[in-house]
Amino acid sequence: MNLKVYRYHRGMASPHYDIFELEPRLGMTVMEALFQFQEKLDDSLAFHYSCRGAVCGTCAMLINKVPRLACRTQVKSLLKGELKVSIIPYPAIGETVPWNSEEEILVEPLPHLPVIRDLIVNMDTFFRYYRFIEPVFRPSTVNPEEERIMDPAAVKKLEVYTNCILCAACSAACPVEGQNPKYLGPAALAKLYRFHIDPREAETSRLKTADIPNGWWACEFYGNCSRVCPKAVPPTTAIAKAVAELNREKKRS
Amino acid sequence: MIWGVGVVIHHHDILIIGGGLTGLRAALRISDAGLNGAVVSKVHPLRSHSVAAQGGMNASLGNIKSEDGTKDSWKNHAYDTVTGSDYLADQDAVERMCREAPTAVIELEHMGMVWSRVENGKIAQRPFGGAGFPRTCYAADRTGHNALHTLYEHVVEREIPVYEEYFVTSLITEDGRCIGCTALEIMTGRVHGFVAKALLMATGGFGRIFNKSTNALINTGDGQALALRAGALLKDMEFVQFHPTTLYGTNILITEGARGEGGMLLNRGGERFMERYAPHSVDLAPRDVVARAIEQEIAEGRGYDGGYVHLDLRHLGADRIMDKLPGIRLIAMDFAGVDPIQDPVPVQPGQHYSMGGIDVDINGATKLPGLYAAGECACFSVHGANRLGGNSLVETVVFGRLVAEKIIEDVETIPPTNDKPAEAAIESVNDRIEGMLRREGGDRVFEIRGMMTDTMSNKFGIFREKQTMQEGLDEIKKMQEQIAHVSLQNKERELNQALVRLLELEGMLLLAEVVARGALVREESRGSHTRTDYPERDDRNFLKHTLVGFRDETMQVSYKPVTLGMFEPKERVY
Repeated sequence: MNLKVYRYHRGMASPHYDIFELEPRLGMTVMEALFQFQEKLDDSLAFHYSCRGAVCGTCAMLINKVPRLACRTQVKSLLKGELKVSIIPYPAIGETVPWNSEEEILVEPLPHLPVIRDLIVNMDTFFRYYRFIEPVFRPSTVNPEEERIMDPAAVKKLEVYTNCILCAACSAACPVEGQNPKYLGPAALAKLYRFHIDPREAETSRLKTADIPNGWWACEFYGNCSRVCPKAVPPTTAIAKAVAELNREKKRS
Repeated sequence: MIWGVGVVIHHHDILIIGGGLTGLRAALRISDAGLNGAVVSKVHPLRSHSVAAQGGMNASLGNIKSEDGTKDSWKNHAYDTVTGSDYLADQDAVERMCREAPTAVIELEHMGMVWSRVENGKIAQRPFGGAGFPRTCYAADRTGHNALHTLYEHVVEREIPVYEEYFVTSLITEDGRCIGCTALEIMTGRVHGFVAKALLMATGGFGRIFNKSTNALINTGDGQALALRAGALLKDMEFVQFHPTTLYGTNILITEGARGEGGMLLNRGGERFMERYAPHSVDLAPRDVVARAIEQEIAEGRGYDGGYVHLDLRHLGADRIMDKLPGIRLIAMDFAGVDPIQDPVPVQPGQHYSMGGIDVDINGATKLPGLYAAGECACFSVHGANRLGGNSLVETVVFGRLVAEKIIEDVETIPPTNDKPAEAAIESVNDRIEGMLRREGGDRVFEIRGMMTDTMSNKFGIFREKQTMQEGLDEIKKMQEQIAHVSLQNKERELNQALVRLLELEGMLLLAEVVARGALVREESRGSHTRTDYPERDDRNFLKHTLVGFRDETMQVSYKPVTLGMFEPKERVY
C-alpha cells in the first residue's frame, strides 16, 4: 500500500506528490505512516505532531479528501473503506492528483489555510477568529469564596462544546469558509456558544459578538463541520440555536 | 558566523519556558503583578502534554463524605502523598501543595473551567489510587484539556506574549547567574536571543526516553537537559513512574479514574489478581504496586500473548461509562478497536511520569541564581519515589503560581543585563547548528533514538538489576559518542524538524545517563524503583535524594537529606 503525500515549500513553483510504499503494522495510523516516511524516505517531510492520542488537536490534515486527525486515522480501516464520512463536496476537496483509494492513502494539508510547508498550514487566521469572539469567561458575580454552584445537567450541555480541541478540521470542511475567508467559522462560533450557555456567565448577550454578516448569519448549514469533528462537537447545532435566539430577540424589539 | 540578517534579542522581565499548565499559570500570575512576562514553547501551548491529563486534580475540598462520614483535610492529603512517595517526598513541600490545592482548584473554577459536578452542584470528586478519600476533582476524563484551555483563554485575553514553536537551544549565564536563553525559531530557522531577569523552566517530563510511554511525542525532557548543562542539579531521576494501565499497542493512557469508577483488572484466567497483591486497596493501590503486579502476572504466564491483562469496565454499564469515561471509550475504540461497554480493554504498564527533575527548593529556585523550575520538569520533591494519581495536575497549578510569586519578589532587585552574552550565545548556537547540518554519513537520528528507548525500557524498566543496568549505561555512553556523527538529509534551516529531533536527542541521551547512574547507585527498592538484587527499602542508607550534576565535564552523583517532619517512615500497606 502507498502513501501519497503532498509536498511543497517556499520557492517551489507548484506542489508535487511523493509516493511512498508503506510497511504496514497492525493498527498503524496515518501519523505513524508519516514518521515511517520521514525515517525511510525523506526526513524533510514537515507535519505537526504531539499527543498522538487525539486530544491535542495539532495533526489535522486532509486524508483521502476528508479533514481528519492523522494520529487517530488507521491506515487499514481507510483502505477497507471503513472510515467513510459523507460530506457535501466543495471546491477544496476536488481532484488534485490521480489517486486510487483502494491502494493509496492521499495525505494533503488542511484546505482553506495557507500552506507553510508540506502538511503544515498557517493557523493565524483560525486563531484570529478564535480571539475575535473573546473566548474568556465573564462571570455574573464577584468570585465567591468557594466554587460557583453548577447543575450537573448544565455541565453536560456545556461539555458538548468544551470538548473542542481547536484542530481546525471543521474550518477545513466548511464550504462557506472556502468562498468567504472572512467567515468566523464553525470552531470560533461553537466556542462563542459555549460561553453563551455557561450558566455562570453574566446576563449580557454573548451572541451579539458574532451578530455580523460574517458571523452566525454566514453559515449555510452544510453540516460538514459536525460530521468531521473528531470530538463530536456539533457547531451547526450551536449556530442554528444562536440564529433562532437572535431572530426571536429581533422580533421582540 | 551569524546566520540570517541581524541579531534578534527579546527582552522580558521573566521568561517562562514551556506553555503547559505550569507555564500558563505562572504567566497569569506574572501578568497580575504587572511585570513583562513571556512564554516560549516548542509547540502551540494548547498542544502541550498537560492537555492529555485525564483523571483529575487532587484537593481536599471534602465535597464527598467518606463512607464513615468523616471529612477530608489537607493533612489527609499530605499523609497519602507522603506514604505514596515511599517517604522520599519532602514533607514541607508536600504540606505546601496540599494546603494550597483547594485554592488552586477553586481558582480554575473561577476562571471558567468546567468541572464535573455532584448533585448539589459542587465540584465532583472521585476515588484514586493510594488515597483515603474521594479527593480527585475531575472534568469527566478530560481534566487537563479543560484546565489548559481555560488558562490559555486568559493568556489570550491579557495578550501575554507567547513565542510559539521556538525550541530553546541553550541557557545563557553570566557571573554565575542565568540571564536568558537562545531559541531556534522552528518556522524560519533563525536563532533568537532572550534576555530576562529570571527564567522559569516548565517544560514537562522526559518520558520519551522510554519506548513504551503514555507521554506525548514532544516530552523529551528538554528543560532538564538545558538546566543540567547550565550548571543546575537533577534530583531523583531514577524514579520513573510506570502507569499500570496503558492501552496495549499504542500505550495511550487509560486513566486510573477507570478503576476509581469501579473498573477491575483481570488476568488471563479471569482472576481479579490485585486481591493477592493489595488485599485492602485491590485495584486502587498506588501505581507502583499495581504496575509491578501486572508485570509479574505477565512474567509468570498469567497475562495474554503479547504481554497484557484486561481492564474490565463492562459491569459499570453503558450509561456510567458514557457519562464518566467518554474519552476512554473513544480511545479504546479508536486505538484498539474495543468498545469497553462490550469488551474488556487490553492494558499493560508503560512509562508515564518523571518523579525526578531539576533540583529546586520549596520556592522553585535552582542552584543557579535566576533559574527556577516547576511542574513535572522540577523536583521539589512532592512525589518522592512514587506519585499518586491526581497529584501532578495539582502540582502544576499550585507551584506555577507560588513559584511565580517568588520570582516576582526576587526580580525586584535584579538590574538589567546587557546583550553581549546573548550575542555570543547566538553565535555559538548558530555554529553548532551549522556543524550539525554539514555532517555526512554516520547514523540516523531515529536509529539512535530507537536504541536509546529500547535500552531504557529493557534495562531501566519496572524491575532493575545491577548487571543489566551496567550494560545499559555502557550502551548509553556509546550512543552519546555515536550521536556526534549523526547526519541529517535535510540541510535547510527553515522548518527542519529533523534538526529539532537531533537537538532533542542530544539532551535525552544526557538524561538517560542521569537515570542510569541514579538507578545503579540506589541499592534498594523504593516506590517505582525496584531492584531485584536489593528488594527491600533501606532507610538507613537511602532515605536521601540523589543529585546528579556536571563537575569538570563529568557527571557526579551526590546526595541530600529528605525533609521529614509530619510523618515518620513506616512500611506501606495497601
